[in-house]
Amino acid sequence: MSRRARGPARRLLPRALRFLRNRGRVLLLLGGWSLLESAQTFLIGYGVAQALDRGFLAGRVGTGLLWLVVAAAATALGGLATRGVFRGLADLVEPLRDGLLRRVVARALREAVADPARADASAVSRLTHQTELARDSFAGLVLVLRSFVFTAAGALAGLASLALPLLLVVLPPLVLGLVLFTATLVPMAARQREFLGADEALSTRYGAVAAGLRDVVACGAERRVAAGADELVDAEVRAARALARWAAARTLALGVAGHLPVVLLLVATPWLLDGGVTAGALLGALTYLTQSLLPALHTLMNALGAAGTRLLVVLDRLVGDGPDGDLEDASADVRGGGAGTVPLPAPAARSTAGSRVELRSVTFAYGPAAQPVLHGVDLVVEPGEHLVVVGPSGIGKSTLAALIAGLLTPCEGLVLVDGEPATASGPAGGEPARRRVLIPQQAYVFTGTLRENLHYLCPGGPEEVPEEAVAASVAAVGLGPLVERLGGLDATVDPAVLSQGERQLIALGRAHLSPAPLVLLDEATCHLDPAAEARAERAFADRPGTLVVIAHRIDSVHRADRVLVMDGAHATVGRHRDLLDRSPLYRDLVGHWAGHRAGHRTGDRVGGRVGRRPGGGPGRDATLSAPGPRGDRGTR
Amino acid sequence: MAIHPTVHGTDGTDGTDGTGGAPDEPTEPQGPEGGGERSGRDPADRLLLAAVRHSAGRTTAICLLNTASAAATIALPAVLGHTLDLLLGRDGGGGAGPWLALCAALVAAEVLLDAVAALLTGTTVARSTAWLRRRGLDHLLAVGPRRAARFAPGDLVTRLTGNAAEAGGAPAAVAGALTSLLTPLGALIALAVTDLWLAAVFCAGVPLLVLLLRAFARGSSDSVSRYQRVQGEIAGHLVEALAGARTVAAAGTVDRERARVLARLPELSAQGRRTWRVYGRAVVGSGVLVPLLTLAVLAVGGMRLAAGQLSVGELLAAFRYASLAAGIGGVTSQVSALVRSRAAARRTAELLTVPRTGHGRRSLPPDGTGRLELRGVTAVRGGRTVLTDVDLTVPGGTTVAVVGRSGSGKSTLAAIAGRLADPEEGRVLLDGVPLDGLDPAKLRREVGYAFERPALFGSSVGEAVAFGAYEPEPEAVEAAARAAGADAFVRRLPAGYATALADAPLSGGELQRLGLARAFAHAGRLLVLDDATSSLDSVTELQVGRALTDQVRAGTRLIVAHRVSSAARADLVVWLEGGRVRAVGPHTALWELPDYRAVFAAEETRAADAGTAGEGAR
Repeated sequence: MSRRARGPARRLLPRALRFLRNRGRVLLLLGGWSLLESAQTFLIGYGVAQALDRGFLAGRVGTGLLWLVVAAAATALGGLATRGVFRGLADLVEPLRDGLLRRVVARALREAVADPARADASAVSRLTHQTELARDSFAGLVLVLRSFVFTAAGALAGLASLALPLLLVVLPPLVLGLVLFTATLVPMAARQREFLGADEALSTRYGAVAAGLRDVVACGAERRVAAGADELVDAEVRAARALARWAAARTLALGVAGHLPVVLLLVATPWLLDGGVTAGALLGALTYLTQSLLPALHTLMNALGAAGTRLLVVLDRLVGDGPDGDLEDASADVRGGGAGTVPLPAPAARSTAGSRVELRSVTFAYGPAAQPVLHGVDLVVEPGEHLVVVGPSGIGKSTLAALIAGLLTPCEGLVLVDGEPATASGPAGGEPARRRVLIPQQAYVFTGTLRENLHYLCPGGPEEVPEEAVAASVAAVGLGPLVERLGGLDATVDPAVLSQGERQLIALGRAHLSPAPLVLLDEATCHLDPAAEARAERAFADRPGTLVVIAHRIDSVHRADRVLVMDGAHATVGRHRDLLDRSPLYRDLVGHWAGHRAGHRTGDRVGGRVGRRPGGGPGRDATLSAPGPRGDRGTR
Repeated sequence: MAIHPTVHGTDGTDGTDGTGGAPDEPTEPQGPEGGGERSGRDPADRLLLAAVRHSAGRTTAICLLNTASAAATIALPAVLGHTLDLLLGRDGGGGAGPWLALCAALVAAEVLLDAVAALLTGTTVARSTAWLRRRGLDHLLAVGPRRAARFAPGDLVTRLTGNAAEAGGAPAAVAGALTSLLTPLGALIALAVTDLWLAAVFCAGVPLLVLLLRAFARGSSDSVSRYQRVQGEIAGHLVEALAGARTVAAAGTVDRERARVLARLPELSAQGRRTWRVYGRAVVGSGVLVPLLTLAVLAVGGMRLAAGQLSVGELLAAFRYASLAAGIGGVTSQVSALVRSRAAARRTAELLTVPRTGHGRRSLPPDGTGRLELRGVTAVRGGRTVLTDVDLTVPGGTTVAVVGRSGSGKSTLAAIAGRLADPEEGRVLLDGVPLDGLDPAKLRREVGYAFERPALFGSSVGEAVAFGAYEPEPEAVEAAARAAGADAFVRRLPAGYATALADAPLSGGELQRLGLARAFAHAGRLLVLDDATSSLDSVTELQVGRALTDQVRAGTRLIVAHRVSSAARADLVVWLEGGRVRAVGPHTALWELPDYRAVFAAEETRAADAGTAGEGAR
C-alpha cells in the first residue's frame, strides 16, 4: 500500500522541485515575510513573560503594560507579514494553476484531435474542478506548512531565550508527536487515495445510470443496477472508515506533540524554578505552547492529511501520465494531429485547376488485428473534377476522405495529392489548409467574429484575403441572410445559438474562401435543407479546384462528374447513368433514398468491375471490406 | 483556518438547477418517507432529521464525546492555573501532586475523547452518506425516466454524490455545531468566574471584533465570482474546440486553438491574485484582532495581579479563557457547514419528493398474444398536449408502424405503450390487463424496448446485450446480435463479446444495433422500437426488419419509423397527426393519400438530420 502512495509522490517530485527552483525569488520573499511572523510569535510570548516578571509581578504596572504594547505591536507587525505572505502565495499558486490549465487544455486538444470521435467534455471537468482543487490544496499546504515551520521556530527561539531548560522539557514530546504524525502520513495518503478512487467509481456509475435511466427501467434491471451501485457504496464506506481510523491516530499524535509538553512543563516546574526560571518565563512558555504551537499543529495536521493527499492525487491525474516537463510548462508537448514526419520531396508545381488525387492499391485498417476498411483501392481524381462518394453508412467513406486529407496513413499503398504523399503537416511545415481543406459533418464555429470564423482556413490570415473574396464566398454558399441576421461580418458569433445548419453554412463559407486547390466535404451539408445543399454544392463545383463530396443525400450524384459507390465488398466508379446500369447497389441506393418505391429487395452482393474514367489510372479491381468495427466513425 | 478561498459553483451545488419542475408535473409534495410523514416542515429539514434519526445513536455519542471534551478543555486552564499557583507557592509546590495528576488526566481525556470523536464523526458521515445515496438511487429508479427527466443527468449525479455527501455530514455537523458553542461559552463563563472585570473587558471588545472582521471580509464573494466567470469562459472555449475536433484535426490548427482557449488566462491569473489579496485581508483581520483582544484581557489582568486581586495561575487561566472564548468565530464555520448541508439536503430531497411510479401485483394471462389497447389516452409534455384522446387497438402478434411528422407524438405514444411513462388520462392495456396494475417484474419480462440512442450497461459487449430483467444464455445473446446485424462487428472487436464496453468505441449505428440485440434477446409479447434503426443504412435496416419478423420471438411489435420501407413492411400503420390518430390501415391503402405521402417527404430530411445529429436520448 505504502508503495502505491509513494508512487505519485516520486513521479511528481522532480517536477515539483523544478517548479520551486524556478521560483526562488518568490520563495525567498515568502520566507522573508514568514520570518516576520516568527518574530511576532517570539515577541508575544516574550512580551508576556517580561510584562509579568518586570511589570505586574514587580509591582510596576507601567512597565508591564509597555511590554504588552510591545506584544501588541508585534501582532500588528504579524498582520503586515500575513499580507506579504498572501502576495507571495499568489505568485506561487497562480503560476501553478496557469501551468496546469495550459497542460489540461493542450492535452484535451491533443487527444481530441488524435481521436475526434472520442472527444468528450470530461476534459472540461478536469479544467475547472481539478485545477481548482489543485490550486486550493496547494495554497492550503503552503500556508499551513510555512506557518507551522515559522511559528515553531519563533516559539522555540522564544523558549530558548526565556530559559534554555524550557526547551529540554518541550522539545522531546514535540518531536515525538511530529514523528508519530509523519508516520501516519503515508498510510493515510493511501487510504485517502482509496477513498477518492471509490468516490470516483461511484460517480461514474451514477452518471451511467442517470444518463441511461430510461434503458434501465425499460430493461427492468432496476434491482441489478441498484445492487451494483450498492457494492460501490459499500466500498466507499469501507474506505471512509479506514480513513477515520487514521484520523483518530492523527489526533493522538497531535495530543503528544501539542498537549503533552504542557503537562510536562508543569511536572518539571519545581525543577525549573530551582534552576532559576521565573514565573513570567513559565507563563510565557505556556503562552507559546497554547497560543502559538497548538493551533499551528492543529491546522498542520488537518491540512497535511487531507489537502496534501488531494493535491498529490489531483496533480498526478493532471500531469502524471503526460510527457515529462515542468509543472507549469506544456508548450513542448503539442503537435498537430495526424501522420508522423516522413522526409518528403519538395512540393511539385500545382495545377491552378486543382489537385490531382491518386490512390494506389490503398489498404487501410484501424488496427493490426482489425479487418481492413479499404482493401487495395485504386482511384484517380483529375484536377478540377467533382467526385461524389456514396454508400451505406459505416462503409468507410469518411475513412477515404481522411486518407486523402492525410489525416490517416494507409497501411499499404500510396495516397498521392499532386504526386506527393498526402500528409497532415505539409512538406514545408506550413498549414495543411494551403493544400486542401476537409470539412467534416460536425461544423466547427467558435466564439469570435464571423470574419474570424471565415478566415479560419486562410493560412495567410486576414491580410491576404481581399474583402471582395469574402463577400463572394458568403454569397456563393448562401450565407448572406445569416450574416445579415447576425449583424454583419464583424459581429461576434455565439455558436450555441446557431442551428446545426447555420454552423454548416459558416463552415462551408470558410472552405469556399480558402485558397486550397482540393476541397473534401464529408457530409458537410447534412443539416441543410435540400435546396440549400444543392446551392452550396453548386458553389463548390463552380469554385476552381478539385472537389470530393461524401454524399449525405443521393441527390448529390446529379451534380457530380463521377460517382464512387462503396459497399462492403467492392468499389465502383463511373458516371451516374452508367452506374444505374452497372451497379445494382447504386440503383438500390438511389431508389431507397429517393423514397420512390418502398421495401424492395436489396442487399445482395454486388460484384461489378471497377469503373474507370476513360483514360484514368491502370485498371484493376478495387475491393473494399465490409464495414469495420470502427467504420462508421470515420476519421480517428 | 479555512483554506478554500473560492467557492466551487462549478459542480452545481449552488442550488439552482435551472430546469425546475415541468408545469405539468404533479406538484403535491410527498415526504421522503413516501408520504407517510405529514408535517409542515421543509423537505430538506425532514430529510436531515431522518438522516439524524438514522444515525441517532452515533450522533448522540458524538455530542456526548464533544461535550465531555469541551468540559475537559474548560476545566483545564483553571486546574492548570491552580496547579501553577501551588507550584509557585512559598511551600515549594507542596500538595500540588494530585492537581498535577488531575491536569494530566484532563489533557489525556481531552486527547482521547477527540480521537474517538474523530473516528466516530468519520464513520457517521460515511454511514449517513451511504444511506442517503442508497435511498436516492432506489428512489430515482422507482421514479422512472419520465418524471426524472426534469433533472439533467449530470445534475442527478451531483445530487447523489456531492450533495448526498454534504447532506450526509449533517448529523456530525449538528453535533459539532452544538458542541462548538460549548467551549467558547463555557470559557466566557469561566472567565467571568475567574474575574468579572476581565469578562467585561472581553465582552466590550467583541462588537468591535465583529465589526472589523466584517469590514475585512468585504468584497470576497465579488472577486470569487469574477474569477469563476473568466474560468467559465475558458472552459466554454475549450468545449467549443473539442466539439470541432475533426475540423481542428483536418486544418492542423491545434496550436492556434490552444492559444485561443488560453487567451484569457492572464485575466484569470489577475482575478486569481485578487481573490488571494481579498482572502489575505480577511485572514489578517482575524489574525490581528483576536490576539489583540486577548492581550487587552491580559493587560487588565496584569493590573489586577499587581493590585493583588489575581494570582499568576488565575491570570494564566484568564488568558487562556479569553483566547478560547475568542474562538466563538469557529462557530460560524460549523454553522456554515450546517447551512451547506441543508442546501445540499434540499437538492437531494427535491429528487426524493418526486413521486414514485406505482405498480399493481397482477400477472398477464399466460396465453396472451400481446394485444395492446390504448383507451382515451391523453399525454401532456411541457404544458403542451402531445397526445389527445388516442384510442387504438393493436391485435396480438402484429407489427405496427407509427408514423407522423416530428412532434406528432410518436415517441410519447411509444413510451406510454410500454409504461415508460403514464398518460395523463386514459388507460393502456396489454392482453386486457392495465399496465399500471401489473407487477413490474412481469411487465418488464414481457415488454421490451429499443431506442434511437440506447445506453448500454455491463462490463462487456456481451453483458450489455444480456442486460435486463433476466440473463439470457450466451447462445441467445449471439443469436439476438445476429438478428440485429451486430454479430459481425462484435466478432471483429479485440475480444469479441468479451470486449470491455470501454474498449469498444461504437458508432451511432453500432450502438443502435447492440440496443436492438438487447431488446431481441429479451423479447416478450410486446416489443417497442422507438426510432431504433435511424442510424442504420437502408440495406442493414432491411435485414434487421426481416430478422425481426423471422428470427425474434413472435409477439406484437410497435415500431416508430421515419422511413417508407419500415411502414411498408408493417402489417398496419398508425398515422399520427398533431397528437391524434389520423388514420390506421395498411401502408398500401394509406399511400394513396397525398397527405400521408407528404409525411415521408418531410421526414426524409428530418430523419437524416436526426440520424447524424444524435438528438438527445431523452
